[in-house]
Amino acid sequence: MLDNSRPSEGIRFEELILDDRVHSTLYTDSEVFEAEMDSIFRNGWVFICHDSEIPKAGDFVRRNVGRDPVFAVRGRDGEISVIVNRCAHRGNIICQEERGNAKAFVCQYHGWAYDTKGGLVDVPYPAGFKGDFSCHGLERLAKVDSYQGFVFASFNPTVPSLGDHLGRATELIDRAVEMSPVGRINLSGGWVRHQLNCNWKMLPENDTDGYHVNFVHPSFAQAIRSNYDEAVLQDEESLKSEAKDWGNGHTELNFSPSYSRPLEWFGCAEDRYPSYSKALREAYGQEKGDKILLDGPPHAVIFPNLFLGEMNIVRFEPVAPGVCLHIHTPMYLEGVDDDVNQRILRQSEGALGPTAFLLADDSVIAERTQLALAGKGGWLDLSRGAEREVTDDNGVVVGHLTDETSNRGFWRHYKQVMQGPDQSSPTAAAAAA
Amino acid sequence: MVTIEERLRVEEFLFKEARLADESRYSEWEALAEDDMHYWVPAEAGQDPDDGRISILNDNRTRLATRIRQLNTGVRHAQVPPSRMCRIISNVEIETIADGEYFVRSNVILYEYRIQADKEMEVWPARVEHKLRMRDGEMKMFSKHILLLNSEGPVRGLSFII
Ligand code: FES
Ligand SMILES: [Fe+2]
Repeated sequence: MLDNSRPSEGIRFEELILDDRVHSTLYTDSEVFEAEMDSIFRNGWVFICHDSEIPKAGDFVRRNVGRDPVFAVRGRDGEISVIVNRCAHRGNIICQEERGNAKAFVCQYHGWAYDTKGGLVDVPYPAGFKGDFSCHGLERLAKVDSYQGFVFASFNPTVPSLGDHLGRATELIDRAVEMSPVGRINLSGGWVRHQLNCNWKMLPENDTDGYHVNFVHPSFAQAIRSNYDEAVLQDEESLKSEAKDWGNGHTELNFSPSYSRPLEWFGCAEDRYPSYSKALREAYGQEKGDKILLDGPPHAVIFPNLFLGEMNIVRFEPVAPGVCLHIHTPMYLEGVDDDVNQRILRQSEGALGPTAFLLADDSVIAERTQLALAGKGGWLDLSRGAEREVTDDNGVVVGHLTDETSNRGFWRHYKQVMQGPDQSSPTAAAAAA
Repeated sequence: MVTIEERLRVEEFLFKEARLADESRYSEWEALAEDDMHYWVPAEAGQDPDDGRISILNDNRTRLATRIRQLNTGVRHAQVPPSRMCRIISNVEIETIADGEYFVRSNVILYEYRIQADKEMEVWPARVEHKLRMRDGEMKMFSKHILLLNSEGPVRGLSFII
């Protein structure tokens, strides 16, 4: 293992990330990017897939963890393995299809065959193979765990538990799945892969930035709403939504306080989907059912690469310092009529992706920002609202919708992760020696 | 078989539709669309529009009208200023689907100069399927399906009329 060659060693993150600003080299520098691939995407937990994508034994999907190609596959025992997509012989891609079902994975180069756990089971012309089958399996990610069907994995065998990583933010995931009366979502709608020529961190930052909405998206408001002027000219005091820092880099824009009637978040009247409302109230009781119908789904980022984007699920994928992917799918609900899921699909196509009413504009702003950070760069401000945010009883920091509470939360955790465990600890010193 | 005359009318339509899109003349382009218009960019090869799989774009006439209204606001940042574009159309094949209605296949290469941000040239090759209808002596479209070669992605921002 090469764990002792920490690429982040030469980078002074404490000088690049201050409480009220961050330096632009964090978005442009290739050494920073390499350090992130190591410290965030290999050493920490990364969202891989939802278990509804691979319901049956042998079902698989291809993914990237940072830049490492992997595939997630359900074994005959029902357990999901996340396996590096690289043949243990000479490195060919093992799983060529984006998704599908397989009893075994046979390499197309020299025919080595692996089972759904990545174990080597057969090699052609075995007389010449003097190795040990058990030592020539595919590399598996050391840790795989899931919460509410969201599957996360890590290359790091000593990573703290997924529960530690998610912390309080399990509540956000609970809120997402509780949009279904049976508490289950289904990601069977396929993914759209939207490339932005900007640094990947602009995705979690922008997706929980409540300040830009009226400036980047006025064309959407004008095109769909007649009360546009009212919405845009709303003064600071009357904006009731909140920006939140849930800890561990998990952040949220909480729009619930701005809704005054059930299903407002879904853009329709409550009686539009009577059986959906009824099913929620029956499943969760009148009080909680009412609350779900009024509050709507979460709009939150789970560090580092999962966005619970209301009725969408989004993966962030870093490609290079100035290139990333925003990959989305509709968050279908189990236990509802088809017309509810139809509406979710149409809204997903409208809001996210290359042609969307919203994200197409966010992406051009992000690409202009990336251009502005070229060269020596400078500082990006993060101070808005620091003096007026409050910490609630659960330890969640709550700010005004337009404040940088969420982004400060992202960067506080990022800095901690990138600085790594105490550099002066005996293990680190021994490894460096 | 369509007549030479019909082929001319269809090709004329394709060229005009392409020019209005190239020049971002949104309302004039929209005027070519019938009330039952389906404007679609699937995300996967072989996709069926009704199979519950997500599309890159899937507009009925109402949503298309919203899209055009958004572009016409002048503050659709992704198209301020509009991309400079040039479409090359070829391999036009025409079938009659009913009296005065045509199913038209073509290959299109669209060059897009993205002047809003990076000032890059993007190329969008696609197989395109139109459904056209002659109404009151004028050719209109009631379906345009754009099968991008790279629909599975990654796909850059696509905020212009494709
Ligand atoms: S590279 Fe896979 S069998 Fe040789
Ligand atoms: Fe936005």
